[in-house]
Amino acid sequence: MEVMLTVEGLEKSFKDKKVLKGISFEVRKGEIMAILGPNGAGKSTTIRNIMGIMYPDKGSVTFHQHNGKGIPREKIGYLPEERGLYKNVNVMDILLYLADLKDYPLHKAKERALMYLKKFDLEGKEKISVEELSKGMGQKVQFISSIIHEPELLILDEPFSGLDPVSQELFKEEIRSLADNGTAILLSSHQMNLVEEMCDRLFMIQRGQKVIYGTLNDVKTEYANFKCTIRGLNNRHELENIPEVVRVEDKGESSILYLEKDVDPGNWLKQLPDKINIHELNINRISLHEIFIDIATDKNLMKEGSEVLA
Amino acid sequence: MRNSMKVAKWEIKRNMKNKTFLIGLFLTPILIVAFMFIGSLFNDDSEDLTTEQVTVLVNDQLNTYDSLEETINQTALNLELKKTDISEGDAQDALIGSENTAYIFIDQRALEQGIVPVYTSEEINPYFMDQIQVFETPLKSIQLENLGLTDEQLVMISSNISFEKVVSGDRDSGTENNSEESSGPPLEKIIPGIFAGFVMLSIVFTGMAIFQSASQEKKDKIAEIILSSLTPGELMNGKIIGYFVLGLIQTVVSIAILLPAAIWKIDFPFMEYLFVPELALYLFIAILGYLLFAAIFVGVGATMADISTAGNFQGFVMMLPFATFIFIGPVLGDPSGLWAQVGTYIPFTSPGVLLLRLVLLDHWPWLEIIIALAILLVSIVLFMKLAGKIFKVGILLYGKNASVKEIWKWIRA
Repeated sequence: MEVMLTVEGLEKSFKDKKVLKGISFEVRKGEIMAILGPNGAGKSTTIRNIMGIMYPDKGSVTFHQHNGKGIPREKIGYLPEERGLYKNVNVMDILLYLADLKDYPLHKAKERALMYLKKFDLEGKEKISVEELSKGMGQKVQFISSIIHEPELLILDEPFSGLDPVSQELFKEEIRSLADNGTAILLSSHQMNLVEEMCDRLFMIQRGQKVIYGTLNDVKTEYANFKCTIRGLNNRHELENIPEVVRVEDKGESSILYLEKDVDPGNWLKQLPDKINIHELNINRISLHEIFIDIATDKNLMKEGSEVLA
Repeated sequence: MRNSMKVAKWEIKRNMKNKTFLIGLFLTPILIVAFMFIGSLFNDDSEDLTTEQVTVLVNDQLNTYDSLEETINQTALNLELKKTDISEGDAQDALIGSENTAYIFIDQRALEQGIVPVYTSEEINPYFMDQIQVFETPLKSIQLENLGLTDEQLVMISSNISFEKVVSGDRDSGTENNSEESSGPPLEKIIPGIFAGFVMLSIVFTGMAIFQSASQEKKDKIAEIILSSLTPGELMNGKIIGYFVLGLIQTVVSIAILLPAAIWKIDFPFMEYLFVPELALYLFIAILGYLLFAAIFVGVGATMADISTAGNFQGFVMMLPFATFIFIGPVLGDPSGLWAQVGTYIPFTSPGVLLLRLVLLDHWPWLEIIIALAILLVSIVLFMKLAGKIFKVGILLYGKNASVKEIWKWIRA
């Protein structure tokens, strides 16, 4: 796949604090690439450096397919984390203004605006003032403003924050379809389930450093070991003695058994001792959410794995 | 530049669609006109009072009637003079129930004691007693004539004594003397001067909205979205241009409303005096003034979260355009004096003081004008640069005001 954006060795300090310590990744045409990380990890700073809103102390941001100097602003759609719209103007005016700033033809922008407003259940709202919109509606209009000019690269900083599940689904579908049509998408999010469902590749960042970088599947095989959750009262010591169990976590009546990396779930199940009390059992990979929590809280459950790659 | 024009167009469109701005746009000149008319309403009232006709019946025993009538004709007072033979006692009875009527008894008492009894109706023009003071002169002359003075003596006695002041030394040093002689600056200077002053006030005051507008992006949290399409510099310049045009629109609308009213009310050929070569320089100064304040406002505006949370520093900056008013008194007193010169060289007061001085002075001090314009131009470039630096950082600082220390840091960065 064609590479649209390359970020290399990005470093940035605020006062004496280094907030980005050599961030490198790339975004390709037609893929959804997610930047994940806890609050303050440096996600938005990375994005702001890409957008030229801040300038990195070191490192480079390269937009391929762009010959001129600087940032090809008209080819990029950007939805910042801190976002809003002018309050006392009507919806169509602001959409057309933002499209005009991107040098997008106005008649086409108008068509697309109406099309998207309809798609996002805002049909007939083009004439009303922005301040009359609910928060969710406002979010939708902001999202439309970021894609109205058919960007080749779309950068979304926390696109799902503050959205209800229905709207989240709408956004998700639209982002997916944009990617399918060839748009390169870089998004940051906290909503792990959403990211897990839609992203092709991900970049996890903690304290300005890369923790994980790769395709979702790679990451899962690499980091997400299997875990087995057993509901029923059992002796912790007995559980720990089961082969290939790294660690046991008790949660009331259920216990979570974290398994070794190369375990074969089928074989492992066969050798479970008979005396174990099982009301319910399920075995699955550790979710992205858990990896994320783990990293964010510095438990370093997957420390071994992360150290290999970091 | 193209992006700046887009921003400018947007700012203009946004304001022209904004009810608050539109109301202000028309209300300001309409209020001025309204006050003009309210003022003249009171004038009309008083004119009505003074013009209310009073019938004056004169019991004349000294043959003064003709000279009294002549006096009234000369002063155009609305008094109707009639002769009467009525006695003082009957006059009082005759006045009962009548209005705007008076009886005057001119007899020996006027000559000997200088007293003329006047009987008036209860309802009478309140200015009447002042109006009949004009009869003093003819009566006085009869009094003097009766003393047997010659005409020459009469002239001497009836003329007032006046004090004439003659200043010795260089004529030019006595500016007061000068201005008395030239009876103030010519209209070709005053009218364009007032016009340019009005234009400057109008665009500077409209430009104060830049203050609000510069923090608008922050308040509405749209700064990053906008900055993903253009640079902070383009945004800033766009705002400056946009509000300049809005200021001009305000000026044009104001003039369109004020001028017809003024011409009708004051009855004066403004237009003949307005379009003179001086106007070009005046307007140039006015525009420089706008650019300077626009740069300062846009920079400082970007440091605030909201106009209502402006700190002392921001409030102080906002008062800068009013600094000119401090100089108005001293400059009017002495347009070439020390204060006037100081005001000319301080960039913040320079445009206003310069305009005022050029209007007042007969001979323009070209050297001072050129130095002042140079200082102004350099200041504009300097402040634009500083504003650009402050704006660039400030616009992204959501939800808080920047301290002076922080602003200083951004400037040095």
